[in-house]
Amino acid sequence: MKAGLEVHQQLSTGKLFCDCPAELSETVTRTVERRLRATGGENHAIDAAAAFQASRNLTYIYEATPTSCLVELDEEPPNALDPAALDVALTMALLLGARPLDEVEVMRKIVVDGSNTSGFQRTALVAVDGHVDVDGRSYSIPTICLEEDAARKVGESKDGIRYRLDRLGIPLIEIATGPEISNGAEARAVAEEIGMLLRATGKVRRGIGTIREDVNVSTEGGARVEVKGVQELRKIHQYVDTEVARQVALLAVREKLTARRARVPDDEPADTTHLLRGSATGPLGDAAAHGGVVLGIGLPGFGGLLAPPGESRERLGRELADRARAAGVRGLFHSDEVPSQGIDGEVVSSLRRLLGVPATDDAFVLVGAPKAGTAHRALHEVRTRAREALAGIPSETRDPLPDGRTRYSRPLPGRDRMYPETDVPPVPVDPARLRALRAGLPERPREARARLVERYALSENTALALQRAGEVERFESLAGRGHAAPLVAQLLAKEIPDSGGDDEPFDFPVGLLDQLLASLERGEFAKEGLGRVVAALAAGAATVPDAIGRSGLVTMSRGELEALAEQLVLQNAPMIAAKGPGAFSPLMGDLMREVRGRRDGQEVAEVLRSAVARKLSPGAT
Amino acid sequence: MSENGPADAWDRLRALPMGTLVELTTADGARWRGAVVPPHEMSGDRVLQLKLPTGYNVGVRVGPTDQVTIVEAAPLNGNGGSTPSKTRPSSATGPWIGLLTTGGTIASRVDYRTGGVRPVREESEILGFYPDLERDGPVRVVPVFDRLSEEIGPPDWEEMARRTVDTFSKGASGVVVAHGTDTLAYTSAALSFLLEDLPGPVVLVGAQRSPDRPSSDGFTNLTAAVTLARHPELAEVVVVMHDGLSDDRFAIHRGTRVRKMHSSRRDAFRSRNGPPIGWIEGSTVHLVHPFRPRSTGSPRYTGPMGTGATILWFHPGLEPSRAEAFVAGARGVVIAGTGLGHVALSHLGWIKSAVARGTTVVMTTQCLEGVADPFVYATGRELARAGVLYAGDMLPETAYVKLLWALGRSDDPHAVAELMKTPKAGETEGRHEAEDHP
Repeated sequence: MKAGLEVHQQLSTGKLFCDCPAELSETVTRTVERRLRATGGENHAIDAAAAFQASRNLTYIYEATPTSCLVELDEEPPNALDPAALDVALTMALLLGARPLDEVEVMRKIVVDGSNTSGFQRTALVAVDGHVDVDGRSYSIPTICLEEDAARKVGESKDGIRYRLDRLGIPLIEIATGPEISNGAEARAVAEEIGMLLRATGKVRRGIGTIREDVNVSTEGGARVEVKGVQELRKIHQYVDTEVARQVALLAVREKLTARRARVPDDEPADTTHLLRGSATGPLGDAAAHGGVVLGIGLPGFGGLLAPPGESRERLGRELADRARAAGVRGLFHSDEVPSQGIDGEVVSSLRRLLGVPATDDAFVLVGAPKAGTAHRALHEVRTRAREALAGIPSETRDPLPDGRTRYSRPLPGRDRMYPETDVPPVPVDPARLRALRAGLPERPREARARLVERYALSENTALALQRAGEVERFESLAGRGHAAPLVAQLLAKEIPDSGGDDEPFDFPVGLLDQLLASLERGEFAKEGLGRVVAALAAGAATVPDAIGRSGLVTMSRGELEALAEQLVLQNAPMIAAKGPGAFSPLMGDLMREVRGRRDGQEVAEVLRSAVARKLSPGAT
Repeated sequence: MSENGPADAWDRLRALPMGTLVELTTADGARWRGAVVPPHEMSGDRVLQLKLPTGYNVGVRVGPTDQVTIVEAAPLNGNGGSTPSKTRPSSATGPWIGLLTTGGTIASRVDYRTGGVRPVREESEILGFYPDLERDGPVRVVPVFDRLSEEIGPPDWEEMARRTVDTFSKGASGVVVAHGTDTLAYTSAALSFLLEDLPGPVVLVGAQRSPDRPSSDGFTNLTAAVTLARHPELAEVVVVMHDGLSDDRFAIHRGTRVRKMHSSRRDAFRSRNGPPIGWIEGSTVHLVHPFRPRSTGSPRYTGPMGTGATILWFHPGLEPSRAEAFVAGARGVVIAGTGLGHVALSHLGWIKSAVARGTTVVMTTQCLEGVADPFVYATGRELARAGVLYAGDMLPETAYVKLLWALGRSDDPHAVAELMKTPKAGETEGRHEAEDHP
């Protein structure tokens, strides 16, 4: 198995081809409706991915915001490439030991899924042949590009897809690694290292969705599959691993199909509506009952291989259904799902007869739609995918799902979709500019780590955790306000990331963190309760006192703590008598359960230790 | 085949046919492999454009001693990519529309060999670009010429008018003229004066985005124009373009009252001094204001255009001597005056002499909205007394085109003045409603 990454990081330098700020907005100033169609590029060849999207013939609704202008609406030519963004890309090139180009040429990459109003994404190759070192290994960085981010999808209905233009045009640095990564954990480590380097420039946007990864995975005998737009770094390894599992499972299915001499006939789909009317339930029943059609095809030799019982959930049936959905139907029904949706017994026999697939080793697929054309298109896609299953694994783009799995998105785009952006002049990269950038290169993560260890007396691991969490800047800011460095580091590198679980954590404003630390320092709650207070804030507590209240961390006085310790010692007198000072540890566990977060742990230990000591001292009763 | 000739590497590379796959090793040891593609017009000196296998173009500065290896000769015809082609649908029978192509963005695509714009000429290529055009019937492409609209002049207007008459007489039920947008409104005014007794619509249409872009407005504009060209009643020269920024509504502007009011927006074309005649939504045409109906006679060409007219844009500080020199020898001049149609009184002298020499002087307003009226201020009254013709709410460009047309019909300044005063193609109206027009 081989994997490569493309890391996309948004920059905070302002938009790439206009003077709008690189900021999202919740204010919609107007909407515009558009259609896009596939066009040929330089060679007049229409790209497969572009043709596929255009064939869906959708309307796109664009929401303009105060952070977008006529350029994003495709109503005004782009300005020149923003020099500040190019400087960041060149800085990254130097940090990665890459070779900047003599002249940067902006290209148009055809993308007709509506995410760009123009129908293409502007992108430029800035540097080549770099490398990044992680855990003693060097990974190649063949390309560093600067491109514009796409519009943000905010909704989808049968009338069209709705995009907001605030994100369109925000600069993205794309850093691609060679296909040299061998497992999910490595993928994550490489992505983290690149992320740290990007943040070292100090010119990147923070928060959810500001860094996204595409993961390219190929297995032996499989094909290159791109999982596009993974937003959570901590899930990268899952996507790599599940993609490998999917490819392995599908290759096993292919072997069985070959052994059975399975095939995909070219017969016209058959109308099965009359067989299902009155019996089928679910989507097929709906289509049959409400003036739609249910069409079917037979797949000889596919029986039992679409959803093999007890096997991986990455089944061929799901692949077929994804393709059908992409063609505009709600889903499909196949023979491995019998009996369900009211399709059983005599209906199945009739279907098998009509579709010419009598044997149990044969499969059939049904698709319901309001219009026959849609069902035909969907079955065409199903057939294409079934044929691909006979050949192996198709190269395609897949969307990441929250559960770590992926879903078919579109064919993998090829080079036919690139042609020059003639509206933007090429940018010469002159040696003086590179000299100036080289002289002002930011501190590398390794150097920054050494400095953190030295200046704040942190451990190497804590410093690294701060970098991985992207929190060095805020750490220094909060430590600079006089908060204890270990506490700030614990907050930023552990409590906050942990509060998100598997998801991206809540983006706390630095002012709130300042208040939180001050409250802790005033003794309003104890260090042990930090995680709970952070969680309460992430869950929506408006203020620090509110969060403390919600966490149930009502403080306890010293007197109350001492009384509690005394009581515990009395209750456990026999055990203390038997174990002597060794009784401390079990008692400490019991006591902490009562008071965690309400008094400082060290203080609790001290109070308990003296209570035990008093009990053991001569003359104690 | 590989070796280094004695020549400078740059000269060797420049001599290669576009598309040649080369490997270039620069003096600092960097190695590049890609196909030679045409340089960007703004590229730096000695910068070679290479298309890498990923599809990206890069610019590499070539030193005299760089090593060049030719890996593969240029393909004979592109790289073998499939060209979208379209054969005429067999169902396309019945009344047909003539599509006159004249160049401009709508009938062009980016040519990567020259870095410029290449016209689309072949019928199959045009219908391949716009496959929806024949949805409701056949379209026949009539190539007229291939010009960017800033290159189009009065002789071209005559040619377009004659070809329009010719196309109708061959049986077209409507004519669409695909035209560059820069001077499209001049052409629409010219055709409005040059054509009489039309048997069907003459629809001018353009695109603000070239059709090689998926977002081109050309697709929907042309479809709307053809839809209107099939209209059974309307028979005048109109412009059809986007009505807003969305691809769902198209305005129908009278040919003499429309102006390009924005350099790049899709909805750049606006009717001045009144609303559009109507709108097109999907395949529905809404004609909400009076329009010229079909004539039962044969279409007539009323050319030729005259020569020797110009437009003078008055501005503060314009020296009378400079203005006089500018209009010297002109048979007619349209002044875009300030406000209601004024110039500084210091210009009265040369204006009087020009009129005395038989030059027709027409006054319009540079406000581009509202009327030029001589009677409100003393300056206007002075100018009118000097023989300046006030053109009412006629746009300066329309007045210029009409003046050329009138000069083509008569050498007598009095006859020219009569023609200018007589409404001909809806170029002026006396009544203006209090609606807001953007």
